[in-house]
This record gives sequence, C-alpha cells and structure tokens, in this order.
Amino acid sequence: MDIAEVKQNGIVILGLKGRLDASNAGTLESKVLALIDAGERRFVVDCAQLDYISSAGLRVLLMAVKRLNANGGKIAIAALQDQIKEVFDIAGFSSIFQICGTQAEAVATVQ
Amino acid sequence: MSSATLRLSNQLAELERASRWLEEFGRREGLPPRMIFEVNLALDEILTNVISYGYEPGETHGIVVELTLLPQTLRVEVEDDGRPFNPIDVPEPDFDKPVAERPIGGLGVHLVRQVMDKVEYRRVEGRNRLTMTKSTTPTSPTGD
Repeated sequence: MDIAEVKQNGIVILGLKGRLDASNAGTLESKVLALIDAGERRFVVDCAQLDYISSAGLRVLLMAVKRLNANGGKIAIAALQDQIKEVFDIAGFSSIFQICGTQAEAVATVQ
Repeated sequence: MSSATLRLSNQLAELERASRWLEEFGRREGLPPRMIFEVNLALDEILTNVISYGYEPGETHGIVVELTLLPQTLRVEVEDDGRPFNPIDVPEPDFDKPVAERPIGGLGVHLVRQVMDKVEYRRVEGRNRLTMTKSTTPTSPTGD
C-alpha cells in the first residue's frame, strides 16, 4: 500500500493505493495518530485507488473517527470502489463515516 | 473437480501472496470476480487471526490452505498448528452501539460469517481445521 499525503487549507488528504491489510495497517495507524497528535483535525481519506481492505484497515479508520469525534475533528471517506463499499456496509461502517463520491465533496464535508 | 494447495509461513507479509494465489485460481476457473473478492476477504481474515494470535512470538510455523472447486461450490480449508481457536465462538459485534463505544476489533470474524455461506471448525490432532464454503452462483445470498 502507498499513502500519499497532501495538506490543503487545513485539511489533510490521505490517498490510499493498493491493499490495506494486517501487514500494513500499522503504517497507516502510525501516520494518522502522528497527524492527530500534531494537531491535525480535518481529514479526507481518498480511496479511489484502494483495491482492497480487511478488518485490520477498518480498525484504523474506526480508531481515527473515535479520536476525531472526541476532540472536535472531522473525517470523510472519498471515492470507495464498489467492492470496498460492500465491506464498509457489511462492517456497519457506512453509518459511522461520511462517505462521499469524490474527493472534492469529501473536502467540502470536513471544511 | 479442481483443487490447489498453498503453504504459507506465519508472517503477515504472506497475506498478499495468498490473495494473488486465490485470484489466479479464480481467473483460471472462471469464478465471478465479486465472489473471489469476498472469499479473499474471508481467507485474509482467518489467516490474519492465525498469524497474529496463533503462535508464540518468534516461532516459525506452516499454514496450509486448500481450495477445492466442487459443483456450484468453492471450499476453502485452512489448517494450522497454532493454539486452539474457534472463530465460530467469537460473539457478533453490537452494531447498535454509538461510535465511541464500539470495540476496536471483533470485525474480522463478522466479515467472514457475512461473505461465506458456511463456516465449520474442528480441532484435529493438535491442529485447527477451518472449512468455509461459498456458492459459485452469483445470485446466491451471502451471509446467514
């Protein structure tokens, strides 16, 4: 998995590419925790190029939304591929997260 | 009847290899991509549990995965010599809880139950043997 990180107008946009599974979820977790600890409060996770996610990846996103809810932050998920949206639905995550069709919509949601 | 066997070591880096192997099998047998995605998820979750919690740190072990294509059904068997673990015993997560109270974890087994038609566990001669099946017919219901 590759993680591209861009910050624009106070919003951190993380672009995930490839597979997010138990072998690399820790990398994403460390990155997100470090950003939150550094004071970042608005996040967009762009999943346009994310081909696969397992519960290990979902766990990192759940942890992030919990932290951000607790400290007044916001997070939105953008551009889920159909099969990943299905995993979100089965896991009950579609009701927890703001899920947007495009990165631009997600950015507008957390602004 | 087609079948394939893969031997993995207990390292998380093996998850991607298992996934590629399963996709290759699916392509060769002309199985629906959506079905393969779901079986991939179930296999990944089971292997993740075995690799993460099955062994003492630092030990090297082998895990065997066998795919068998039966009429209208794909069977996936995972066998390991880790500590006894029956995923069927894992309680379902409570989806009515607010976000702050949701436990981080417990989701993997839930995903397995939802995407596979049937999951069976046996402890045989000091080994865990998990057998999962899924219909190859795209219209078949998933889950319970």
